Amino acid sequence: MNILIIEDDEDMASFVSKVLTEAGHVVDRTHRGDMGLTLARAGDFDALVVDRMLPEKDGLTLVREYREGGGVSPALFLSALGDVDHRVEGLKAGGDDYLAKPFAPSELVARVEALGRRQVSEAPITALKAGELEMDLLSRKVTRNGKKIDLQPREFRLLEYLMRHAGQVVTRTMLLEKVWDYHFDPQTNVIDVHISRLRGKIDKDFDEALLHTVRGAGYRLQA
Amino acid sequence: MNIRLPTLVRTTTFKLALLHSILFTVFVLGLLIYLYASTVFYVRAEASDSLDAELTELSRAYSQGGLVRLNRSVRERQSVPGARRFRYLLQDAQGQKISGGLSELPDDIPLDGRQKYLFDIDYIGPDGEIVSRPAEGRAVVLPDGGIILVAYDVGEFQRIVPRITRVVWTAAPVGLLMSLIGGIVISRSAARRADTLAKTAEGVMAGDLSRRVPVIGSGDEFDRLGEQLNAMLGRIETLMESSRHVGDSIAHDLRSPLTRLRNRLETTLAEPISRELAEETLGQTLGEVDNVLATFNAILRLSRLEAGQGGRMSRTDISALAHQLAELFEPACEEAGLGFTANIGRGLFVIGEKDLIAQAVSNLLDNAVKYTPKGGKIHFKASRERDGKVALEVTDTGPGIPEQERERVVKRFVRLEASRSEPGSGLGLALVEAVGRVHNGQLQLEDGKTQDDTRGLRARLVLPKA
Repeated sequence: MNILIIEDDEDMASFVSKVLTEAGHVVDRTHRGDMGLTLARAGDFDALVVDRMLPEKDGLTLVREYREGGGVSPALFLSALGDVDHRVEGLKAGGDDYLAKPFAPSELVARVEALGRRQVSEAPITALKAGELEMDLLSRKVTRNGKKIDLQPREFRLLEYLMRHAGQVVTRTMLLEKVWDYHFDPQTNVIDVHISRLRGKIDKDFDEALLHTVRGAGYRLQA
Repeated sequence: MNIRLPTLVRTTTFKLALLHSILFTVFVLGLLIYLYASTVFYVRAEASDSLDAELTELSRAYSQGGLVRLNRSVRERQSVPGARRFRYLLQDAQGQKISGGLSELPDDIPLDGRQKYLFDIDYIGPDGEIVSRPAEGRAVVLPDGGIILVAYDVGEFQRIVPRITRVVWTAAPVGLLMSLIGGIVISRSAARRADTLAKTAEGVMAGDLSRRVPVIGSGDEFDRLGEQLNAMLGRIETLMESSRHVGDSIAHDLRSPLTRLRNRLETTLAEPISRELAEETLGQTLGEVDNVLATFNAILRLSRLEAGQGGRMSRTDISALAHQLAELFEPACEEAGLGFTANIGRGLFVIGEKDLIAQAVSNLLDNAVKYTPKGGKIHFKASRERDGKVALEVTDTGPGIPEQERERVVKRFVRLEASRSEPGSGLGLALVEAVGRVHNGQLQLEDGKTQDDTRGLRARLVLPKA
């Protein structure tokens, strides 16, 4: 993916850029808000990573103006301000996701990759497919290799999210946010247990496991 | 205490008192003028009507029995003692007086019986002196050329007028003066109390946070202002104390993992680095750093909460939230070998922030899962209290918290001896407590009493109803 990083803190910028480069992405950097807007408009980026507090033009204004100008690249806010209020402000300004500092590198990569994928799948979809897994979103039926799998409503939503991001790493926080709509850090392994239950249903009777645990990061459903 | 007059004159209370006294004076003057005007009007009308009626009656007497009858009538009327304020004069065509209490017809009185005429009547006063009093009279020429004059004594009323005027002119300055004095007295006391407020504020600004505004107990607005200020100062003092405490706690709680981290890195560096050693050390290091970060995040969140930034509150469906949380935690309980039951009431709503409440309740559930031994039970209940408040309750069969420790465990970084070995930052209950506080609710800790051999814990987050 082509990613534009707009971040004024030199250490943070090189850290983000290193993390994303190592994950195989191409990265451009700037440290000023106004230049960031110009670059974002000129280039065709798959995702923008925007700090909220920037010289010349703050992140919120930048993304708002970018959206008003017709820019469609998804934007992820990075900010030391992690309250729900700030998150809501960020999303209102036209951001697509919000990540509070400090964050784990794997969290950043997972979220940025989830953003890039979203753009492609903007058209209404009625069925999802990942490897042998198939999901019919209308009749809410799930099959693997043609064999029907019964899921609880929450397990269905969990699997749906994983399938929409098949092949990518999704973190526990992302799952809690997108599947349960909660914005806080769970302390115990609540999400892990839900995953292992889901795994029991989709992987148990098959030789090849589809739902993998990525150590120190999260989970990945094999595409 | 010694307030100089110029300062006093500048105070709002004094200005208000002055304005009030001026308005008051103007109002009283207006009232007196109205009273005067309406009295004059009334008395005039009264005199005029009485004269009309009297003349009509006398004319009737004349038309019934001529001059003789009229004469008798006048004498009769004259003889009624004191009660009537009429005086009469009947004279014949030659200008000779026939009867009546008046001695002579005034020279220029109109003789049409309509126009009023003001003149003086002489009385014999109590000491034999002659008193002159104003009267209003009307005279009519009789068909035979005689004249009847009826006069109405308006002296009483005429004397009232200057009296009222005098009252107005003396009362107005006296009233003005008195209300000014009142204003000064009031504004002095108000200024003095405002001065105490200012002095207290000065003291606080100088660094003495324990200063408080004296509250008299009169319940007036100064007392209320004082109480509010004192509450505010109390809050500020708590916040200052808590931030000082946080500083200490951060130093205490982050220093040890950071020191451990440093030592490990140092010892590792001293040895020849093999791949396994590097992996092991870095893995442990990463884990510790993650813990430090998690603790740090929790401190930040807690500090924001304690600083009163509750975020945006809205009507929140607690029933739905509780169902979700039950569903979120149920598998984790099962995994830990714990029985999990939930009893969630319908239609529970509070005004609050969904994420904060969810975080608080999940901390309680987390604790229950963490500290309840295998084979135990966790019961999650959401219900409406008798007083309408909404209670979110987590009961476990774990070791519980001894009563004397309950106040302490909700403080930051306080961890009971028994739980030191478990992972955790010691901020969980402090956060729940803070969430309760920003919602005007509270966290209550009680014995679970679910089994005989363990104390158990019942943690209740009680929130006011929406």
